Amino acid sequence: MKKFTAFFLLQILLLTAFNFAVFGQTKKEVLIRNATVITAIHGNLENTDILIQNGKIARIGKNLKAASNTQVIDASGKFVTPGIIDCHSHAMMDGSVNEFSYSVTSMVTTRDILNPTDISIYRALAGGVTAANLLHGSANSIGGQNTVVKFKYGRAVEDFPVADAPPGIKFALGENPKQTNQPTQPGRTPRYPRTRMGVMETIRDAFLRARDYRRALDDYRAKVDKKDKTAVAPRRELELEPLVEILEGKRLVHSHGYRSDELLNVLLLADEFGFRVATLQHALEAYKIAPEIAKRGTGVSIFTDSWGYKLEAFDAIPYNAYILWKNGVNVSINSDSEERIRRLNLDAAKVEKYGGVPEEEALKMITLNPAKQLGIDKRTGSIEQGKDADIVIWNAHPFSVYARADMTMIEGEVFFDRAKDLANRDALQRERETLEKLDINRPPGSGGTAPKIPSEKRQADRDEAVGDGGNH
Amino acid sequence: MKEIILRFSVAIFALISFGLSASAQNRAETFAITNARIVTVSGAPIERGIIVIRDGLIESVGAGVRVPADARTIDGAGLTVYPGFIDALTNLGLSSQTVSQQRGGQGLQIQIQQPQASQSQSSSNYPDGLQPEQMAFEQLKAGEAQFETVRNAGFTSALTVSREGIFNGQSAVINLAGDTVSAMIIKSPVAEHITFTPLRTGTFPTSLMGTFAALRQMFLDAQRLQGIQKMYAKDPRGIKRPGEDKSLEAVIPILNREMPIVFNANTEREIVRALNLAKEFNLNAIIAGGQEAGKVADRLKAQKVPVLLSLNFPKRTATAAAEADPEPIELLRLRAETPQTAARLAQAGVKFAFQSGGMQNIGDFLLNANKAVERGLTREAAIRAMTLSAAEIFGVENRLGSIERGKIANLVVSRGDILAKDKQITQVFVDGKLFEQKLPVKPAAGTTATTASGATQTSAAANVGGTYAITIEIPGQPLTGTMILTQQGTDLTGNVQTQLGTSTVKDGKVTPDGFSFTSTVEFGGSTIELTVNGRVTGNQISGTMTGPQGPIPFSGTKNP
Repeated sequence: MKKFTAFFLLQILLLTAFNFAVFGQTKKEVLIRNATVITAIHGNLENTDILIQNGKIARIGKNLKAASNTQVIDASGKFVTPGIIDCHSHAMMDGSVNEFSYSVTSMVTTRDILNPTDISIYRALAGGVTAANLLHGSANSIGGQNTVVKFKYGRAVEDFPVADAPPGIKFALGENPKQTNQPTQPGRTPRYPRTRMGVMETIRDAFLRARDYRRALDDYRAKVDKKDKTAVAPRRELELEPLVEILEGKRLVHSHGYRSDELLNVLLLADEFGFRVATLQHALEAYKIAPEIAKRGTGVSIFTDSWGYKLEAFDAIPYNAYILWKNGVNVSINSDSEERIRRLNLDAAKVEKYGGVPEEEALKMITLNPAKQLGIDKRTGSIEQGKDADIVIWNAHPFSVYARADMTMIEGEVFFDRAKDLANRDALQRERETLEKLDINRPPGSGGTAPKIPSEKRQADRDEAVGDGGNH
Repeated sequence: MKEIILRFSVAIFALISFGLSASAQNRAETFAITNARIVTVSGAPIERGIIVIRDGLIESVGAGVRVPADARTIDGAGLTVYPGFIDALTNLGLSSQTVSQQRGGQGLQIQIQQPQASQSQSSSNYPDGLQPEQMAFEQLKAGEAQFETVRNAGFTSALTVSREGIFNGQSAVINLAGDTVSAMIIKSPVAEHITFTPLRTGTFPTSLMGTFAALRQMFLDAQRLQGIQKMYAKDPRGIKRPGEDKSLEAVIPILNREMPIVFNANTEREIVRALNLAKEFNLNAIIAGGQEAGKVADRLKAQKVPVLLSLNFPKRTATAAAEADPEPIELLRLRAETPQTAARLAQAGVKFAFQSGGMQNIGDFLLNANKAVERGLTREAAIRAMTLSAAEIFGVENRLGSIERGKIANLVVSRGDILAKDKQITQVFVDGKLFEQKLPVKPAAGTTATTASGATQTSAAANVGGTYAITIEIPGQPLTGTMILTQQGTDLTGNVQTQLGTSTVKDGKVTPDGFSFTSTVEFGGSTIELTVNGRVTGNQISGTMTGPQGPIPFSGTKNP
């Protein structure tokens, strides 16, 4: 009986926790009142209201009227920005972020391994991040396909991908693809390529095969059109299909690289095959070739510091973002880290300091610019009428070191609410205590396995991570 | 708690010591169980009935059945007869080391030749681990003694398949008795089995996302092969002949929904991924494991996907340590909620059968089924999940799973409710053959009880001797090998064999917590010193090998 009571109690606690986790199931009208709205496109608007209907920003203005059932959020003295978009993340991924076997792994996709319960996305929401570009690692010249998601924590995984985001893919240049699988194991041939020359050859070879594949498909279709009964469909090549999409301009290339020579090389290769590289990722030497990048309309997604953190980054300078911006390049600032993703606002603030990128332009680097790079700027990235209500309410200007996200919403639904989070902590603690008392959750009396002791090294932090051979 | 453990260990001891021994007859006898309560599962229980068993089949069952003159009568007064239990997923009867031949690995080849891929005689173009044509049937070893422990726990049949590779191969339903493989088989093949575990050989796929891509590519390849085969059969003129490929041939019945495909998936997201893949290729899917299946019960119901639900409920194994992080609350919740999964599936109308899920002690099976009952599952549904539901999922419901005339005489007889702690299994019939429980007798002091299988387990934690199949987790290139440890007191000798050669165990010591030794390995012309630390839990070994580059984890399983 006692056991039963305890269990019943547990159920109630679980239910309570569940209710806290799922905010606002219905798309009701929301009115954010009297905020300083940083639109990231039309300047800052003081004492302004934002009306949200059906998950979209319906109106922006002063003294907007609310219907009686509208949820009104008083944001007096607070700052409202668009949700932050991280153009380079490996959050939510189960298993290795790299398929190490080959140097061309365009057949794999991060969509297959997403974990919607990854706690790091809740933490990202607490840092004002609403969307991210989930990329394959950088171990391969051509890595896997990406997934652009909104962090709808608590929802089913199907709700995460942004349906109309153009598909993308990861490329990687330089040390990571060339050093992967070294030192070699006896009995195994080291993986090709081992040099920057080899990386370029590998990518070129893949595109040549993709061209051949496209030709074979065309030949087949022509035969079918001619009612040729002996026409046999070519094998569907999951590896080459995404590359054909790149050649046809239907898939965005996000190319990891550091040195200006390798970055320029991938741009030249894209010229050769007639496509545009969507973004150069990391690209800490991009300032050296800013005009060449600008000319091609390629975006750059960078870390704001990390100068000289590895040999490839020795020529990195703090003015990278400024110089690129000055040359008309679309710049975004990414985290590549489950830890840094929580304070991208401060990374953006740094580019104001180094070179003097104007405030709005700096904010765009974590909102509208990455939205453009990912092809989702029609629906998100700035506070404009008609866009998704992906909105962060801050207690202070987001470039202040004292800034905290009080509330983060995606399409008008609150996915992080600091006040509710604080209020829920006691309940969670009580639930934990109840759960820990259960036999199944108690450490065994004798024998047993060793508990997990926290590592002194931080996991999954940027390109130098320990968890995956550093290939992010 | 302590009392439970004590009582439990007594029960185990009784089972091991006085195990059911087969009656000596080779020829199946005719039996009549009289005056017993009969839980038929297919129909209402018969409170006081007779079952006649002849030639391995149930000849008749009912309240008014005549006892044949030639039958050996078992007085079932006070006893309950159930259909023999079916463990819905095991690797029972399989030789532990199925060394598959080296085959070509061209099917998923992208551009770089794998150095070890020999162009062998095999007609599979896919690497080890991606060969769905492997059959459990061909790996079975004969002999019923190997099943004694599980039979004693009330099991008469099992679905069995290897756990190796991404494609585990095609399973078989076997009876847990019979002296030849053909006598054991009830149905083969039953289903193809998939484990979403990347290959450890360094060949594609080495990651979870690669695993999905590899499966997708094979399904597409098989679809194409089937298409070309049809064209070719119609008129081969002008068409290049389709190549033979055993692996793809084995995929075709899966794509045609002629063979179900079992996906091992426990967490909600693993199950969702499997369901998505099944939907993408319109497969006749079954989920195995299913710890969190209750959370996706509606989807399982909608896609008509049954579950082979593991009764190996998770529990904490990690010891306490002040410096360790507290366990995540999701994990604490998962352990608390898992026993409720069965009830949630039943409520949603999802078909499910119970499996042992690799539990170390098969005695936990019925105890955990009872826990599922405590958490809302009806007793009848629990029994059905161990009998008729399993038979239905495997397409053998016309032979197994219930006590009906004409079905295979697989029966378990118990004193007391089978789910109760104080039950006692008195007889087990497999194919009409009686395995009788002898009355427990207190062993004389000083005598050592040994089991037929000789599987005596000493309690000392630091018993590490044995041969282990290990994997050394070199990032990106896991290295497999064999670790042979010979223990004498606290001294340890032996060696480690990998493709780097054989390294001898030096300065080997066994401590209460585990073991340690040093060794050297020749690599690239130089000698590398390694310090190895590890521990053995059950049949699992794990630890680290520390060299100049830092520690590398290894883990593995003991070869029986």
